[in-house]
Amino acid sequence: MKNENFISLDGNDDGIDRAGFLKCMAWAGTGLFCLMSGGILKTYGMSQIVDKATGKLKDGIRLPKGDFSFVQISDSHIGFNKAANPDVLGTLQAAISKINAMPTTPSFMLHTGDLSHLAQADEFDALDQALKSAKTGKIFYVPGEHDVLNDNGKQYLQRYGKETKGDGWYSFDFNGIHFIGLVNVVNTAEGGLGVLGADQLDWLQNDVKGLSASTPIVVFAHIPLWSVYPQWGWGTRDSEQALSYLKRFGSVSVLNGHIHQTLQKIEGNITFHTATSTAFPQPQPGSAPAAGPMKVPADQLGKLLGITSVNYVEHDHTLAVTDIALSEVNEKQPAQ
Amino acid sequence: MRYRKMCAVILGLAGSVAVAVAALPPSRHEFKNLKVLPKNISSKNLSRIMIDDFEDGLGVSCGFCHAEEKDSHKLNYASDAKPEKKIARLMMQMTIGINKNYFKLKHPLIGDSTLVINCTTCHNGQPHPGDLETQ
Repeated sequence: MKNENFISLDGNDDGIDRAGFLKCMAWAGTGLFCLMSGGILKTYGMSQIVDKATGKLKDGIRLPKGDFSFVQISDSHIGFNKAANPDVLGTLQAAISKINAMPTTPSFMLHTGDLSHLAQADEFDALDQALKSAKTGKIFYVPGEHDVLNDNGKQYLQRYGKETKGDGWYSFDFNGIHFIGLVNVVNTAEGGLGVLGADQLDWLQNDVKGLSASTPIVVFAHIPLWSVYPQWGWGTRDSEQALSYLKRFGSVSVLNGHIHQTLQKIEGNITFHTATSTAFPQPQPGSAPAAGPMKVPADQLGKLLGITSVNYVEHDHTLAVTDIALSEVNEKQPAQ
Repeated sequence: MRYRKMCAVILGLAGSVAVAVAALPPSRHEFKNLKVLPKNISSKNLSRIMIDDFEDGLGVSCGFCHAEEKDSHKLNYASDAKPEKKIARLMMQMTIGINKNYFKLKHPLIGDSTLVINCTTCHNGQPHPGDLETQ
């Protein structure tokens, strides 16, 4: 009798075969499902809600009715081929399959950067081809630092930023929500921190100037707009100024990628989320000598990518991560 | 007469070739100021070295070696303003030398998977290998 959980081709003697790897990756957190209801954004890791075997919602899970939904995926790193994941296209496809299995078609998708690994034309082509199979509306992009290698983002802009400002920033409105895509990877600061820059900050200030304070705001950018772990460049140097323009709004949600793991922080009216990667995990902040692709045994991969709770304390600031089971949505509020 | 015709044909062909070459767009990636890495390196190979060997190997980002443009936070990849870039060149030369002289690789190239010694061997994700001893 065939045991589907048995690793049959372990050429590298590392406990991983391709089938097992993909199986683990397929149920690991490979996307974020966002539900906007009454101006409040609720987010769910795809692995929390989708059954790995059937591709459908897990038994007992009821999605609350929302005004609309959209999905966020991030850090696809098409072109990456190291041991941490030799098949990034396969895991992207797994994420797309999950999205396509959602009971309600997401209105659109946000990709929060690092579409490619080396900013090569064939990598962007492969990503575009894969995303054609996603059953969502329009896809909105912001670049990651890997997308702007060598040319400061010229190729990215030609492909994905034709109707944007500056290095690729823009905003749009959807169902009364104001979405703002920011670029913090073209300019850089010491230590790898992201930078928005004066031009973009001026634009942002003007962009939100005419909006009423009751307008829900969703900001998305690649590098976190909060200081997750500045020692690894996991933050944006001038994000405080950007966020100061948003303080008067009643509901602000900030969606980022870059760190390849799910973290959440609530600060006043602003909720910060970071998404998992569709490609490979990275270590938890400070738990390794440096950030970078993390190779783990296949049986641990799902646990690490499916992180639901990470606590990190720095300078007396406690960052809490919220993991909400959908069946508990109405009973349990996000923890701070 | 026949000789003249032949010369005319040759000149015509040469002219066509010259026009064709002139009409070609410049190479999409003309990297400036490469001194250790091959001047004709492909964009993909150069990027792979920057990401795999330097970014991941040393746990740094591009701005660790590359200076910013004047009056901007954008990087000027050709600039030699930062001393770290000079050190990186020396390190690459040292790495090539070690692989050639001590491990007898005939044509070691940075980024080549056959290298016995590479950046990560000593750096292991740290900008300065000595950091490991102090930890």
